[in-house]
Amino acid sequence: MAKKEDFKVSRRQLLLGSAATAGATVFGPWKHNRVYAQATDKPILLGITSDASGQFANSGASDRRGMAMAIAEFNEKGGVLGRQVETVHIDTETSPATGTRVAERFITRNEVSFLIGAVSSGVANAISQVAQKHGVVYLNTNSSSPTESGENCHRVKFVWDGNGSNFAQAAVRNAITAFGDQWLLLTNDYVWGHNTSKATRELAEAAGASIIDEILVPQGTRDFSSILLQVQQAGPKVVAAAVGGDDQKAMRQQVAQLELGNGIAWINNQQDWPDVYGLPLDNLFGVFGTTWYWNLDLPGVQDFVARYQAMFPDTRMRVPGNVFYNGYMATRELLSAVERAGTTNNIAVIKELENIKVSANDRMQHHDAFMNPNTHQMQQTIYLATANAGTENSDDMFKILSSSAPDDVADPNAEAACKMESYEDTPTYET
Amino acid sequence: MDLVPHIVNGLSLGLLFALIALGFMLIVGVMEVINLAHGSLFALGAYVAMVIINPAFADFGGIYAAYVGLPLPMRYVLAIVVAPALVAVVGMGLEVCMRRTYGKDPLYGLLLTFGAALVLEETIRLIWGPTEQVLTVPQGISGAFLFGGLIYSKYRFFAAAFALLAILLVWLFLERTPYGAVIKAGAHDSEMVRALGINLTRLRLLVFALGTALAALAGIIMTPIWGLRPHVGVDAVVPAFLIIVLGGVGSFWGAVIAGVLVGLAVGLTGSFASQWSLLSMYLLLIAVVTFRARGLFGKKSVLEL
Repeated sequence: MAKKEDFKVSRRQLLLGSAATAGATVFGPWKHNRVYAQATDKPILLGITSDASGQFANSGASDRRGMAMAIAEFNEKGGVLGRQVETVHIDTETSPATGTRVAERFITRNEVSFLIGAVSSGVANAISQVAQKHGVVYLNTNSSSPTESGENCHRVKFVWDGNGSNFAQAAVRNAITAFGDQWLLLTNDYVWGHNTSKATRELAEAAGASIIDEILVPQGTRDFSSILLQVQQAGPKVVAAAVGGDDQKAMRQQVAQLELGNGIAWINNQQDWPDVYGLPLDNLFGVFGTTWYWNLDLPGVQDFVARYQAMFPDTRMRVPGNVFYNGYMATRELLSAVERAGTTNNIAVIKELENIKVSANDRMQHHDAFMNPNTHQMQQTIYLATANAGTENSDDMFKILSSSAPDDVADPNAEAACKMESYEDTPTYET
Repeated sequence: MDLVPHIVNGLSLGLLFALIALGFMLIVGVMEVINLAHGSLFALGAYVAMVIINPAFADFGGIYAAYVGLPLPMRYVLAIVVAPALVAVVGMGLEVCMRRTYGKDPLYGLLLTFGAALVLEETIRLIWGPTEQVLTVPQGISGAFLFGGLIYSKYRFFAAAFALLAILLVWLFLERTPYGAVIKAGAHDSEMVRALGINLTRLRLLVFALGTALAALAGIIMTPIWGLRPHVGVDAVVPAFLIIVLGGVGSFWGAVIAGVLVGLAVGLTGSFASQWSLLSMYLLLIAVVTFRARGLFGKKSVLEL
C-alpha cells in the first residue's frame, strides 16, 4: 500500500499542473471549435430527426434522401450565406420519447441551427415541443395529422405534407356521389388516425353520408381478419381507412387476399410511396391521396427524377415518391428562406417561411402553393390516385385521377384550433 | 352479429399463433434459453423462401431459365423444405456461439440472442433492402371464396391447416421417435441424459436446429398474411414468448392450447371491441398467471407448496 507522503503535491508541481490545465483550456482540443464558432464560414448544421427504425423506418430513409439532395444542390452553389450546410442524424425510432431526447440533444449539445424531419405525427409533436422551448425552427416534413397544424401548432414548426383533412376534402364528396352514402370508418387508434377519421366523418356527414360504424385498429395490428369480417357484416358502400405504417401494409395484403377491394369502395388516406413501392398492384385497391407523383406530366418533373437517379443510383426505389419530395422541398425552402433573411436568426427565418409562395412550376405541382401564416402548413395541390392497372412499367404504379387546388381542400378547422405562440414568447435562437 | 365466423377465425388464428410459438417452446423447454433471435429467424426463413420461389441471379447455361420455368407450386414446396433447412444451419451457428453462456447467468444467453436478432435483421436489410417484399404463393391457395354470405381467404385456411399438420408432425417426432425421446429426456433432466452416455452437445445442436427451422417455417407461412419486411420478426417474438409462458414452459400441448386461446381471445375481442384486441392476449396472460404462476400446463416447481 502506498504511503500518504507519496501523494504529497509540491508547490512547483501544483503551479505546473495549474498552468497545464489553463493552457489546455485555451489551446486544447476546444480551440478549433471556438474559432470555428466565431468564423463566418461555420457550417449551418441541420439536426435530422428522422426514423431509421420502427414502423416508419423506410419512409424516414426516403425523407433523408430528399433532404440530402436539396443540401447537395445548395452546397454545390457555394452553400448558404457562404456557409456549407452539414447534417447530423440520430434515429428517432418512431417513438415520441426518443424524438424528445434526440431534439434536446441536438439543440443543447450539437448546437444545430435547425431541426428537420418527421413521419410519425406523435414523434413530430414531441420534437416540436422541445424546439419551441428553445426557439429552434423545426420542419415537420412528412407527418400528416391535422393536429400538427391545428391544436399542436407552434411558432417554430412548419408542416410540409398535406394532412388527413386535405385528403378527405379531396375525396369525400366525389366518393359519396360515385359509390354511395353508407360509410364505415377504419381508424388507427392513435393521434393521426383519430384526427383523420374525425375530419372524414365531419365532411362525410355534412355531405349527406351516414357513418354506420367506426372500427378502431390498435397500432401494431397484424391480423385484420376479424376486422374485415366485421366490415363485411356491416355491409358499407364505402370504407374510409385511416390506417398507417406497417398496420396499413398488413391490412392491404389481407384485403387483397380477400378480394374485398373489388366489392367495396375504399377511400384510403395518403399512400406513402415507400410503403407501396414494389408491391403487386392488387394491393393498391381503392382511391388514395398523394401530394406528388414522379410521372406527373409537368415541367421539371423528369429532370427531378433524373437528378434523384444520378444521386442515388444504388437505391432500390428507382424513382422518388411523395416522402422524398416533401423532404427535398422542405429543405430547399428552409435554405432559401435563410438566404433571403440573410441570417440564421430564428425569428427572421420564421418570418420568411411564413410568407413563402411557390409557383406551380417550382413545386412541380398543378397549382401554386403557399405557407399559411396562421397554421404553418404548406397549402398545396392534393392528388387523388388509384392503381395504374395494365401498366407495363413496374415503377408507374399510380394513375392520377384528379388534382385539387389548395383553397378547395384547405383544412377548415385548423386556424381556429391553432393557438400559436407569439414572436415575443418564442426564445431567440441563432447559431 | 353471427358469432360462428368469428369463432372459426379465432381458431385459425390460434393455430397460426401456436405454429409461431412451437420452435420458441422447444428451445426454451429443452435448453432453458430464451431465444430472442426467434423473430429474426422467422423473418430470415421468409426471405430465403422468397429467393427460392423467385430467384434473381445470372443465367448460367440456362439453369436459371429452367428453374424459373418450374411450376410455382413446385418452387413453393421446395421453399418450404429448403428454407427452414438453411435457417437451421444459421441456428446451429448461433448455438455454437451460445455454448460459452451455458451454466452462466441466463442474462448472457439473453443478451447474445438479442444481439444475434439485431445482426440478423440488419443483414436482411443489407441484402434485401428495407422496402416491403412479397412472398408469392401458388394460385391454388390464393384468392377468396364465398361461404354463408361472407368472403374468406383461401390462403388463411391453407395456413391454418398447414399449422395443424406441422404441430402434429412435431408431436409425432417428439413422441414416436428415439430422437424425440432424448429431447424430452433432455428437457426433463439434462444431467441424467449426459450420465446415460448421450451426447448432450449434439442434442442441443439438434434442438436449436429444429427450433430455428420451425421459426423459419412459421415465417414462410405467416408473411403472406402479415407482409414481409426486415423487422417483421418483432411481430412474432412477442406473441411466441407470451404463449409459452401462458401454456407453461416446456409443455408442447400447453403451447398449442395457449396459442389457440390467444387466437380466440384476439379474434373474438377484435369482433366486438377491436381496440382491445391486442391487449386481450396480455389480459389473458395476467389472468392465468395470477392464479397459476407456472402457466396452464407448466411443471410444478419444487419451490411450490
